[in-house]
Amino acid sequence: MYYLLPDFRFVKPETLREAFRELETEGAAPIAGGTDLVIDMKVGRRKPDKLVYIAHLPELNGIRDAGDSIVIGAVTKLQSIVDSELLRKHAPVLPEAVNEMASWQIRNIATIGGNLGNASPAADTAPPLYVLNAKVVIKGLGTERVMPVREFFVGPKKNALRKGELIQAIIVPKVAGEGVGMSYVKIGRRQAFTLSIVSVATLVKVEGNEIVDARVALNAVAPTPVRAPHVEEALKGSKATAEVVMKAAEEVLKDISPISDVRASKEYRRLLSVALTRESLLTSLRRAGVKVEV
Amino acid sequence: MPEDPYSLIERWMKARSFLVIGKSVTRADAIEKILGRAKYVEDFLDGALFAKMVLSTEPHARILGIDDSAALRIKGVRRVITARDVPGINEVGYALPDQPLLADKKVRYIGDTVALVVADDFEAALRGAEEVDVKYEPLPHILDPLEAMERTDVLIHEENGSNIAFRTKVRKGDVEEGFSKADVVVENEYRTHRQDHIYLETEAALAVPGLDGRLTVITAAQHPHLAQKIVAKVLGVNWSDIKIIVPYLGGGFGGKDDEGPLVAAKAALAAYLTGKPVFLEYTREESILVHPKRESTIIKYKSGATNDGKLVAAEITIIHDTGAYANRGPFILWRATVHATGPYKVPNVKVDGYAVYTNKVPQGSYRGFGNPSAQFAAESQMDLLAEKLGMDPVEFRLKNLLRPGDDTATGQVLEDSVGIAEALEKLAKVADWKRKRETYGKDTGRFRRGIGVAVAWHGISTSRGVPDWSNAYLKVERDGSVTVHTGIVEIGQGSPNSSHRQIVAEVLGIPPEKVKVVYGTTDAPDTGATHASRGTTVGAIGPFIAAAKVRERLERLASELLHAPVEQIEFVNGIIKVRGTDKQITWEKLIDEAYKRGVEVSATGYFFLPKGKFDDEKGRGFAYPAYSFIAMIAEVEVDTWTGVTRVTRVWPALAAGKIINPQQVEGQIEGAVAQGMGYVLMEQFVFDERGRILNPNLTDYVIPTALDMPQVMKPVYVEDLFKYSPFGAKGVGEMALIPAPAAIANAVAHALGIRFTQLPLTPERILLTLRGEK
Amino acid sequence: MKVRFKLNGKWVEVDAKPNEILLDTLRLKLGARSVKRGCETAECGACTVLLDGKPVYSCTILTPMVEGREVITVDYLAETGEIQPLMEAFAEHGAVQCGFCTPGFILTAYAFLKQNPRPSEWEVRKAVEGNLCRCTGYQKIIEAILDAAERMRKSNGNK
Repeated sequence: MYYLLPDFRFVKPETLREAFRELETEGAAPIAGGTDLVIDMKVGRRKPDKLVYIAHLPELNGIRDAGDSIVIGAVTKLQSIVDSELLRKHAPVLPEAVNEMASWQIRNIATIGGNLGNASPAADTAPPLYVLNAKVVIKGLGTERVMPVREFFVGPKKNALRKGELIQAIIVPKVAGEGVGMSYVKIGRRQAFTLSIVSVATLVKVEGNEIVDARVALNAVAPTPVRAPHVEEALKGSKATAEVVMKAAEEVLKDISPISDVRASKEYRRLLSVALTRESLLTSLRRAGVKVEV
Repeated sequence: MPEDPYSLIERWMKARSFLVIGKSVTRADAIEKILGRAKYVEDFLDGALFAKMVLSTEPHARILGIDDSAALRIKGVRRVITARDVPGINEVGYALPDQPLLADKKVRYIGDTVALVVADDFEAALRGAEEVDVKYEPLPHILDPLEAMERTDVLIHEENGSNIAFRTKVRKGDVEEGFSKADVVVENEYRTHRQDHIYLETEAALAVPGLDGRLTVITAAQHPHLAQKIVAKVLGVNWSDIKIIVPYLGGGFGGKDDEGPLVAAKAALAAYLTGKPVFLEYTREESILVHPKRESTIIKYKSGATNDGKLVAAEITIIHDTGAYANRGPFILWRATVHATGPYKVPNVKVDGYAVYTNKVPQGSYRGFGNPSAQFAAESQMDLLAEKLGMDPVEFRLKNLLRPGDDTATGQVLEDSVGIAEALEKLAKVADWKRKRETYGKDTGRFRRGIGVAVAWHGISTSRGVPDWSNAYLKVERDGSVTVHTGIVEIGQGSPNSSHRQIVAEVLGIPPEKVKVVYGTTDAPDTGATHASRGTTVGAIGPFIAAAKVRERLERLASELLHAPVEQIEFVNGIIKVRGTDKQITWEKLIDEAYKRGVEVSATGYFFLPKGKFDDEKGRGFAYPAYSFIAMIAEVEVDTWTGVTRVTRVWPALAAGKIINPQQVEGQIEGAVAQGMGYVLMEQFVFDERGRILNPNLTDYVIPTALDMPQVMKPVYVEDLFKYSPFGAKGVGEMALIPAPAAIANAVAHALGIRFTQLPLTPERILLTLRGEK
Repeated sequence: MKVRFKLNGKWVEVDAKPNEILLDTLRLKLGARSVKRGCETAECGACTVLLDGKPVYSCTILTPMVEGREVITVDYLAETGEIQPLMEAFAEHGAVQCGFCTPGFILTAYAFLKQNPRPSEWEVRKAVEGNLCRCTGYQKIIEAILDAAERMRKSNGNK
């Protein structure tokens, strides 16, 4: 009643193949949970002529154990990711992050593929998927390609899909184990049900006293979510101590280019980036078995 | 004199024990609302035309022309209504005659209503509204109130001659002399911001012509008779040709008090001109852009005290950014002006208030009505003075708080019902203030704790000599059930469904389930608005007096029937008995006898609140019949890495007279704390350089969720009875919001050692200040 | 287009436009007025309904998306008596003020307690993070949900 949605056709293909054919039409767009798309249509940001419903397609559904990785179907609901025992065991930073997204009502229908496809610089699935070195499987009619999630984000609201392509699945390597710790920290304008002003995911691997691997990713601080190679370099090969973390985190300023918008200023985002990188790294180290106190 | 309201009030004030007063009786509408059966305005929609507003896209401009031809070509669009179509008077300003219902020659803020499109369905209405073409001649716009005060070359209301809409003052003693005696002086400028009500239900009205010979508007408003007045004025008809029905409201908080009559008038105008029922509902975005907000203020405050901790003088300048229209500005400014010193004895006072026009959304009624910002300034000053004196903030306040017999800043002597000092003392003990004040504030790690106190006072009823009254009509049906008609509205606060019902049940000695309160209709006597926390204090006097009259008559009848003196007759839970005997009669039988023997069991209850005189020119006199008081202690934890402040616990203490329903009062306190905390920590408007609100949605205007809330401790009550209300109750609804900004700011100052004089205290502001970047 | 789905235990078929939102279909065509309209942008929770047993925002769901699925509003749970403990708890704890958010909270709480009958206070608050209330400050709502959980455990014999 409050908004005029565009006049579009709504089709529900029965197979993935049919879906691809429907998507070949100019002005056709896929829809699964719709929580981003329906709002975009209400406020006039998107005006598709045809919506191709894909949430029911079996090829796009399910979380399965693939040996050394976990394959998450693109239309897997966010809440299913939170509840997944498999993911909690082998890649806990992902369910941890998704649990802080939006609200239960949104997570019950929104999908991981939708969050990636929307390609917001503030996408909350991005930092965990980046530090997990996750990949996206992209399918078209008769085509398939795989790329790291970090290459899937091309620009603000721009993803790497070509016309007629869909995300089929996300491949998450099983990384949890001895000496590995990972965590996610998010700050918004309130404690829940809010967009990230900045959020950070980190993953560390510790052997003895030494950090042998460090991965840091942030969102909402650049045109796309980013990894923080300067921080990672400062950590790799260093001692696993609080001092090292506190200093290394400052390097994050070299990896981000935040803007000021209606939600926050770039100065605040810079300060938060350092603070949250520190916090997440300290927590990850603790989870890796290192005793750190600030 | 029999049935004299004063003696009726006094009689019941002396009661020693109560059947239901003071008990947490479940409210009458709880089940209905839980089951989703309670009807709000949109739930009455059943085949009506849709109206859609066309809003101004210019902050300040002349309207050169409105071209509706493209809109009228849209299938389903019936009419496009503009100012020239108004049959009555296109002027709806609440305090000053400065506000058209539909913009006439000028628009004055982005959000000003320019036209109404009426169509068969909402799609056509939305399409039509997009097609209305308004030609503007932009004028220079002013967004800063200080700038607006100075300039006369750009006038937002030419007829006014300046951009100062209204002025107020309070004078007492001689502040220069007072300051000369001061040992410590603190001078600061405080700035507070706008707040949106964000009621879950937006503004809505359904206007139906021709129902029982009148134009009926079902509308979300807080004063049915005000809506009636505005609708009648705009249509140019008699008030009695308009009927207003206010069903359940999905929240009001003052916003629907201001905007309700305007939505009703817009829908009514469309219904009147088309002859068909018309439905108008603001989208969330429209609600945020259009309706008046909590005032935004600049308060320059200078106050001083002697070394023994006594306040000697306060000199205050209050500037309210009243936006495009004055609306309630003058009244909000009066309230702020009169309360600006805080509830203290201050011998020398000079307050000057200015309400200034700017090209932004107007200010208006919002829980606290000018007082939260005034107390934010006053209570920050008190902490700063205490600090300079080396005194504990609670001790310092106790030395200066008003006590019975003291006179206020306006020279009004408060004889009784001044329980604030006792409330603060008790509260400090309950909250373990002393120990925490010493131990918190010393943290040096990442998380820093702080504890802060603030007190506030809030005059109940309308200010100064502005007339206030209560009225109701009560009847006992032949089966013994009771129906009460009142103009008070159910905005969620519960007065009709709780306190009114309980009060009538108490007085008639019957179970509350037998009492039905019919409310929110112009068919009931004008009971004044449901605002100013007067729903129970003043609003319930009407039902109370009506019930008390009927009670006296029935006592005499019972005395006759049971052959016992009146003093021995008791009414308890529907049984009327003679004390000390087993002679009794049921309520139903008594009523039956009343009908048989010609005893009238219906009555009106009218009470005109006694008020004194206030001299606007001199700034002195009777300001309010009584004041509710509140003390609040807030405990916070600030994360110095992110700036995020969490309020962990809040202790409230209320001196608000008799507490009629403790559970409902707790609900008001908890809700007010949520709104106060949201206001201080996360809610804010972002304007662009044209005064357009950039965040008119709930993603970017954030209010607290269940995970943001502090624990609100059980309130301390000091029942300092007010002599002109049922059982001595004073107002409660607004109270817990008023000291919240100050209590939280004082706690943050304690935690960080940094005084913030500008709100909101968002994580960004706190962190950037901590890092010296602000 | 014709959309067929189960509403409150009964199969219904509506003629809905492809761009019709479920909230409008429920309120304006099917008389389910207990579902409220607060923002229409999935930001407040007033429009919460249960879709296959899970709470979702009906304002952001296109009606064709619920083809073949089950939608439940508070009216149905009232009929079956399943929300009796929640209803009593909300009423007794004073958890209702204006009532506009209440049906949404009841549905979310009901679905939550079904899967988590022994919640902690934090878990309850987290479950209702997507339901905004402007009147109550949430305190009595949370107390009521915790109390309802206890009542339900007692009547189920602490299963």
